[in-house]
Amino acid sequence: MADYAVKKFFQLIVTIFGVVTLVFFTLRFIPGDAASAMAGDTLSGAALENLREKMGLNEPLLSQYLSYLKSLVMFDLGETLTTRLPVGGLLLKALPITLSMAIATIILTVTISIPLGTLAAFMAHKGRRWLDNGLTGMAMIVDLMPSFWTALVFLLIFSLTLGWFPASGQLTWEDPWALVQRLALPVMVLSITQIATMARITRTSVLEVLSEDYVRTARSLGWSELQVLFRHALKNAALPIATVIGLSFGNLLNGTVIVEFIFTIPGVGNLLINGINSRDYQMVQTLIVFYALLFVTINFVTDLIYRTLDPRVQF
Amino acid sequence: MNYQAPLQTALLEVQDLKTEFHTDGGTVTAVDGVSFAIERGERVAVVGESGSGKSAMAMSILRLLAYPGIVAGGKVILEGTDITTLSERKLNSIRGRIVGTVFQDPMSSLDPVMTVAKQMIAPIMRNLGLSKDDARAEAIKWLDKVGIPEPERRIEAYPYEMSGGMRQRVMIAMALSCNPQLVIADEPTTALDVTIQAQIVELMKTLTAEAGAAMMFITHDMGLVARFAHKVAVMYAGRIVEFGPVDEIFANPCHPYTQSLLGTIPSADMVKEDRLPQIEGTPPDMKFPIKGCAYKDRCAGAHDRCAVEAPVLDSRGPHHTAACWLPKGLENTKSLKTEKTQRKLRNDNTEPHVVVELNELRKHFVSNQVFSPSKSMTVRAVNGVNLRVWNGQTLGVVGESGCGKSTVARLMLGLEKPTSGDIFIAGLPQMVFQDPASSFNPKMKIGAILEEPLVVKNVGDKHSRTEKIQTLIRQVGLDPSYLSRYPHQLSGGQKQRVAVARALALNPAVVVADEPTSALDVSVRAQIINLLADLKDELGVSFVFISHDLLTVRYISDQIAVMYLGEVVEYGPADEVFAHPAHPYTRALIDAVPVPNPAIEKTRTNAPLSGELPSPLNLPTGCPFASRCPMVTDRCRAEKPILPPHKTSRQVACHYAQ
Amino acid sequence: MADLSIKSAATVTPGLHKALAAARRNPLITNIKARISLFILIPILTLMILAPVLPIQAPLETNLRALLESPSLTHLFGTDKMGRDIFSRTLAGIQVSLLVGFSVAGIALVSGMIFGTLAGFYGGILDRVIMTIVDIFLAFPSLLLAIGLVSVMGTGLIPVILAISLADVPRFIRLQRSQVISLRSRAFIDAARTVEASQYWLMSRHIVPNTIAPMLVAGSIAAANAILIEASLSFLGLGIMPPEPSLGNVVRDGQLYLEQAWWISTLPGVVILLIAIGLHFLSDGVRELLDPRSRK
Repeated sequence: MADYAVKKFFQLIVTIFGVVTLVFFTLRFIPGDAASAMAGDTLSGAALENLREKMGLNEPLLSQYLSYLKSLVMFDLGETLTTRLPVGGLLLKALPITLSMAIATIILTVTISIPLGTLAAFMAHKGRRWLDNGLTGMAMIVDLMPSFWTALVFLLIFSLTLGWFPASGQLTWEDPWALVQRLALPVMVLSITQIATMARITRTSVLEVLSEDYVRTARSLGWSELQVLFRHALKNAALPIATVIGLSFGNLLNGTVIVEFIFTIPGVGNLLINGINSRDYQMVQTLIVFYALLFVTINFVTDLIYRTLDPRVQF
Repeated sequence: MNYQAPLQTALLEVQDLKTEFHTDGGTVTAVDGVSFAIERGERVAVVGESGSGKSAMAMSILRLLAYPGIVAGGKVILEGTDITTLSERKLNSIRGRIVGTVFQDPMSSLDPVMTVAKQMIAPIMRNLGLSKDDARAEAIKWLDKVGIPEPERRIEAYPYEMSGGMRQRVMIAMALSCNPQLVIADEPTTALDVTIQAQIVELMKTLTAEAGAAMMFITHDMGLVARFAHKVAVMYAGRIVEFGPVDEIFANPCHPYTQSLLGTIPSADMVKEDRLPQIEGTPPDMKFPIKGCAYKDRCAGAHDRCAVEAPVLDSRGPHHTAACWLPKGLENTKSLKTEKTQRKLRNDNTEPHVVVELNELRKHFVSNQVFSPSKSMTVRAVNGVNLRVWNGQTLGVVGESGCGKSTVARLMLGLEKPTSGDIFIAGLPQMVFQDPASSFNPKMKIGAILEEPLVVKNVGDKHSRTEKIQTLIRQVGLDPSYLSRYPHQLSGGQKQRVAVARALALNPAVVVADEPTSALDVSVRAQIINLLADLKDELGVSFVFISHDLLTVRYISDQIAVMYLGEVVEYGPADEVFAHPAHPYTRALIDAVPVPNPAIEKTRTNAPLSGELPSPLNLPTGCPFASRCPMVTDRCRAEKPILPPHKTSRQVACHYAQ
Repeated sequence: MADLSIKSAATVTPGLHKALAAARRNPLITNIKARISLFILIPILTLMILAPVLPIQAPLETNLRALLESPSLTHLFGTDKMGRDIFSRTLAGIQVSLLVGFSVAGIALVSGMIFGTLAGFYGGILDRVIMTIVDIFLAFPSLLLAIGLVSVMGTGLIPVILAISLADVPRFIRLQRSQVISLRSRAFIDAARTVEASQYWLMSRHIVPNTIAPMLVAGSIAAANAILIEASLSFLGLGIMPPEPSLGNVVRDGQLYLEQAWWISTLPGVVILLIAIGLHFLSDGVRELLDPRSRK
């Protein structure tokens, strides 16, 4: 296990380095260099040169790279282009909101999709396919709904038409009820896609486990189908499900950007969109690096957890 | 329905059981009206091949059929109660408590994420009503009984930490620990090595006799039946075609299928010139309803009545029934004995020369752990092998898992590079692989598959190649129309024939056959063996025949090499080695193989080899067999006996061989 | 931005048309899912192709007298804030979507097969290098990677196709590599090696042909995903920029008028969903079509 963890950790480091390097170089590839991209048409000539100098773009590439790395490690993420606010600070303010949406989504997803998927698998195993087919069909359709469309439809129905949830408004931590009201709709939108994916994976995994030989052995010892489900099936099915949770986190991150845009939630995604709109490519890239690192780390952690669940790897 | 009415004490009575599988492709009638009875304490073997329905029948008794299987008719009366009508809940109290089960594959039949303790103790608590501590003690007691060393420690182990043989013992312990009256064992030893198989069979015999439990033992191995059973039920195409006491069935088989099946097993008194009687054709597809007798297409004695009316089980003697319109089966018609036609021996004027020579061949697999070099493991798969094969001769290589025989094959074919040692092979050796399913590119037609060696080696032009593949396919007994089919359209036996044809495409001097019949049905194996033997005679090809099936190896080989832990421990002419095995391992191996003759089996001492197959990871110094040898001394553990290389006559790697 | 006339779309669709026609003739498509997919995709495709000759307003044409009109017979999907016909814009947007979808799928398939086969077949350093690069790209959630790349490359059709491809290619490389690795140890590869077949022979005759079917199935699914990502990008203002219609930016146009003119945002979204479903179901039909086992 230790061997495996060390090996994976090295891979993680290499990947992180790769991510950071890739982003560094893409920034350098903006047609016409970073300075003019940021400045747009507002600066030229000497003023542009000044900006370049200030951004350190005239240094040799290697030293630029090293100072970039250094600034990342120090969490000195520069300043926003327009408002000159420290990006690091903005990120730290926006992060809790995005994270709370993500966590709420994950909790909701796991609570609903695992029982649902298990039930569908159980029925399918006994030959009663209707729930299974219905679930798989619906799940697939939901999965394919463009998240921005789902969000707009939800916004239209539950907020604008029915008035159950507010569509906009300030978000403060002091008023938790208002917070919940604001975040409820976006969390629902995020959850619905996640549930579709997770329920399907759960169903497939449980179904596969139910047709394994050891389930038959358990039945031959006199355990009822339900008992077998809880004693044997779920634990074994958990393993592949755990791997997928890590991967679907990526989709979750994708989704947060879109719902924050639509519901005007001041999370990290919103920061990203603002950066794009104000052509602050430095910040955009930095935020994307941040998302990538978060994703990769979560995957690393879930991978290790998965390994600890499976005793076969512990030697 | 004619069957012997059982005595009042019958433990299990099956009446006209029918089981169907409702698949998308149609309804398969797996079990088509099976009736028999098992008395208390009786051991009944159910013999059949794939498609015979034996497993489905066993699972039907306990209603453990997987969807889409369903019991479609008949009664199962257990201890006087008809359990076919019982509710699921009541049935659950019977499973495990009154009827225990042992399944085929110990690797997959245990929950990999649960300790043995958790899997064993809870059922004991439930079925015997014991407290947790008492149940645990009981479980440990049983683990000890099945021969698991240090049971108090092992009970906390996970299944992956045990070998196949040990896992199967755990399964047996689990099944027996709840004191059932009947144990259903579905091919419990098929996945195990020969010597381990012998241990397990002995164990089951002893324990069930002790507990007074009856056993229904499903197998395809007639030898095991002779060793183990009181009564035999022979199944074919979902029906029982013959049933009776084991001595009767073997001495006086009445159904053509039973007779043929017994005939296809190479017996000890057979000589190589005799052709192995074989059963033509393949078992029928159970998707389609069968008119008349199911065996008629393969039966040498089939006549008009067989096509119209299905025979029922009729009395042939005390407790002996068979379902055939011919009272004595094939005895009076074209008998099997006259089928033993002589083989044409090739008149070979070629100078005898060596076609294969292996010198001090070694292959070590090293797995490097980058972050902890101390944990690097070396698997010494082949550890100094010296062999020679002459032209036109067949060398049989026998051994169990981990002995290195498959690695030697791969080394000979150039699929692996040796770590040290020399390999000399005349020409380009070819191979027939074990698994017909993965032997061919599923996207290629048979014709292209046969042509490939010729194309790669640039032999001839399109025209001559087309001719050659026509010759090849006929040579292996298949019609040229097969050339335009895809592999998935062929049966296992047909695929192996094509594999042989492909191996012969370039007229090789040496063909290596790695377990060519293990994946085939018993009734089909003889076809392939005869084919190989015929080709050997016709073409003068040298075969290296690798197998764990000792009877077949003995039949087809001229010389035999016995391998253990990567080394050859005995070598010599096949008949001699079998008649007078000198090495203790060879002796144990031969003892372990059950012979399909109950009379002989009763006289055998049956003290199986103890211990597990060691792993080639930790090779002991000294004789590799020291850990299990009944004759072991200190000298054996210290000093490794050397086989003098390439002596033509008998060689034995043992300090004490007589 | 280049003028997306029917001509350029037609260079993409004949191939699709032929495939669909062949699939329909083929008795193997008894697969329910495939039938549903054709039921969805063929009408959509037909409408898209016939768009120039249909009696509807041109996609870019504005009509200041018919602002924000709800769906009617003249304007099946209603009009937007500039009086443009939403239905017509939707049809034009479908062209873009399909173009992006199949381009991305094509690029991903080809790259995946090349690099995945090399990585899986040769192993060693080549494999490590390729897989490390793959891991780096897979570290980015797909939409975010596309956003990052587009913000560097600019908006428009080509950057969008390239950006989404870069998000998909790593997945295909991984898929192909794992297929190749599992095929490498099959007995028929050994059989070919015993007659000293060259590496090239093994790759081209045995390995690659057995990997095509799953890759095509994955390609069909990738096309659906690409369409969804392109729509999201355009929705965020990062993909195809107005006034050129993309299914995504039409929805964006309607965002501000969600309450008064719900049709602008919702109806094109339904079309996206239908196309995605159609392509997913099609992949099921493709899978059955290519499996020689179903040929009896």
